[in-house]
Amino acid sequence: MSFIDQFAEQWQAYRKPGYYDKFDYAWTMTIDLDRCTGCEACVTACQAENNLPIVGEEEIAKGRTMHWIRIERYWEGEYPDIKLRFIPMLCQQCDAAPCETVCPVSATYHNQDGLNAQVYNRCIGTRACAVYCPYEVRYFNYQTHHWDTPLDQQLNPDVTVREKGVMEKCTFCIQRIRLAKDTAKDDGRRRVRDGEVQPACVQTCPTEALVFGDRQDPDSAVAKQLNDPRAYRVLEELNTAPSVVYLKKVEVDAGAR
Amino acid sequence: MGVSIVPTLRVLKPAALIGVVGLVGMFAGYWANATFFPGTTPVQPINFSHRIHAGDFEIPCQYCHTQARRSISAGVPSVNKCVGCHNEVATDRPEIRKLMNYWVNKDPIPWIKVHDLPDFVYFPHKRHVQANIECQSCHGPVQTMDVVTRIAPLQMGWCRDCHLENEVQHGQDCLTCHK
Repeated sequence: MSFIDQFAEQWQAYRKPGYYDKFDYAWTMTIDLDRCTGCEACVTACQAENNLPIVGEEEIAKGRTMHWIRIERYWEGEYPDIKLRFIPMLCQQCDAAPCETVCPVSATYHNQDGLNAQVYNRCIGTRACAVYCPYEVRYFNYQTHHWDTPLDQQLNPDVTVREKGVMEKCTFCIQRIRLAKDTAKDDGRRRVRDGEVQPACVQTCPTEALVFGDRQDPDSAVAKQLNDPRAYRVLEELNTAPSVVYLKKVEVDAGAR
Repeated sequence: MGVSIVPTLRVLKPAALIGVVGLVGMFAGYWANATFFPGTTPVQPINFSHRIHAGDFEIPCQYCHTQARRSISAGVPSVNKCVGCHNEVATDRPEIRKLMNYWVNKDPIPWIKVHDLPDFVYFPHKRHVQANIECQSCHGPVQTMDVVTRIAPLQMGWCRDCHLENEVQHGQDCLTCHK
């Protein structure tokens, strides 16, 4: 087989969603909508942890927001009988992610930890992945953002500051996962213990609605939540196999509707 | 009746010439810059010799670079560390006087980084030191250098070659090193 044939075959394998199925860790997050109060503490925590820029009023008016996690609002009914529902939406780290198959330079791909990786310095900014993402959780840097002094002193050194022309999204706080793995190795352990890794949003959630862990470990907190009858995945019918699982909000009058 | 391409070519000739000359100039400039101004041997504020310290006196690397086995960065020793010996040793030399000036003024020494990795690379020294990788395999024979020179290319392919050779767990995954 010639080099070109081999390359074409490997490329085709990569183009198929769900090409990675042997996971070392399978990082998963559950979001209990019964507990979520919509306080947006997670949004703020993410902003601080991951060096997210404040894009400003003008940019937001153009629809160029930058929040790796956001609280989506859904209004139901007419005033005064009105009801607000909300759902935190972040990158679902799909195991069969549509965004991965479209990237022309493999800047986004699936890795052995079940993470939907985004390599910033490889990204050429075609924005094709944002078009393919059914959850609308990929954000593009339309500008190079600046932090005025002394705000640049609060940038997280473990996270790159992205520049203009680069796509970015939630990484499940890869820097914290990396740190936990490093600590585990320093302690002479092979595996990260359950609860050792907490993304910024999970750490800050005041009602503990968000739980993070490895779903392959049957004793982990997140694996137990997956068996909950309320568990569902957003847009499950698209077969993207998301790693973020929501627990449905239970309502007393749900049957009457 | 076809359209002749000759008039177009005649017009484009100077443009093509400029393009070719520019391209050649670019390559020549790149080559000259890389050859004559490599930037791998910066001039340091104090003429510190690793040959004397690590070579002749055989002080272990981690006596001064104490953080290498515990931390992501190897750490440049503090002025305190230098003065710890040089309070007594070789106090009359001009370079040591320079050092004592920094000490008296309570200023850090503005060393220039020789092995500088880009911001998007996560390189933990501790992982590599704990894996018993010789300092010299990346930093070159520092114990023979009067002025430290960067020998390693510090390119991604160079990192990956070593990861492949040593069969590092997930050593080829982008997120192992990129952040």
